[in-house]
Amino acid sequence: MMLYGPLLVWIAVASLGPYDVTQGMSSKLLYVHVPTVWVAYLGYSLTFLYSVLYFFTKKEKYDSLAVANAMSGVIFTIVTLLSGSYWGKLTWGTWWVWGDARLNLTAILLLVYLGYIASRQFNKDLAKTAKNSSIIGIFGIIQIPILHFSVIWWRSVHQQASILSQETVASGDAPMSSDILVTLLVSVLLVTLVHVFLTKRFRISNDISWADYLNPQSRAKI
Amino acid sequence: MKKNLLIVLLGIGLIIYASTVIASRNTIYYYTTSETLEIEISNEERIKLGGFVLQDSITKDGEFTLFTITDGNKDIDIVFDGFVPELFQENMGVILDGVFDDDLFLADDMLVKHDNEYVSSDGETYNVENYSE
Repeated sequence: MMLYGPLLVWIAVASLGPYDVTQGMSSKLLYVHVPTVWVAYLGYSLTFLYSVLYFFTKKEKYDSLAVANAMSGVIFTIVTLLSGSYWGKLTWGTWWVWGDARLNLTAILLLVYLGYIASRQFNKDLAKTAKNSSIIGIFGIIQIPILHFSVIWWRSVHQQASILSQETVASGDAPMSSDILVTLLVSVLLVTLVHVFLTKRFRISNDISWADYLNPQSRAKI
Repeated sequence: MKKNLLIVLLGIGLIIYASTVIASRNTIYYYTTSETLEIEISNEERIKLGGFVLQDSITKDGEFTLFTITDGNKDIDIVFDGFVPELFQENMGVILDGVFDDDLFLADDMLVKHDNEYVSSDGETYNVENYSE
């Protein structure tokens, strides 16, 4: 129930929020596209953190947390790709631009973390699996700074950052009307809450796998 | 343990190296109008050209849309026959795919490049002067 609350409020905020006068209604996709990708970055950053902790301490709770964050990150990356693609169709005039670095790198980001989740099945021994996937969790983080700077390094179709740009950070003045900015930040907060409850749910199933692995008899008795 | 750590560091190094190599190649998706002055482009060569649609330059001629794009320095006249995206309008950034016919650029594919500004309808705007592009 905790999960659906922020989810429903977010959908309401996004659909009722203000929109850009030039782009029209399609600019409301801002409240879906931007928060989901930021929270995906957050999820992958936490996967990195817990992967490092697992790699050095071998405490199973860190592995559970790393996987839960990656699973939630994958869901939000899919949402960001779908909403971005639809937004591209409405504004740029195309679903996908193959020459655009940011689009391609986001697709690769999704593939890498799908690979991370798939790597859970590579080995029957959960301790070995966890060690292998923690290496992917550590590697994967490098994509995020590359993705962030991709719109600066490669001249292409995707617009520059509005909030996390040098100008905005330096001047404290985002190139947005304040009502759009506030709606965006509220959306970010709500999606973060969705992420928190989603990872909680995923974590439980990972903890059960670890409990089975560490103590197979307890399962057999039931 | 040591061996694994070595693999991780090697992998991280490889990805950082690869991305700096790619980034330093100055990869571009389209040329600006001024850049076409500096490079040789034959009439057959298909390129992507980007710029802003000049005010009062859009006219319709049958199925063709005629307009001029600029980067503030060099103007190029465009003959476009293709699907015109809904957002296409004056002062909007566009990326066109096509070939040069001497001074004219014949394009059949257009992407509208929206900027990073979002202005709502209640009249409240931010200070635009700080953002040149």
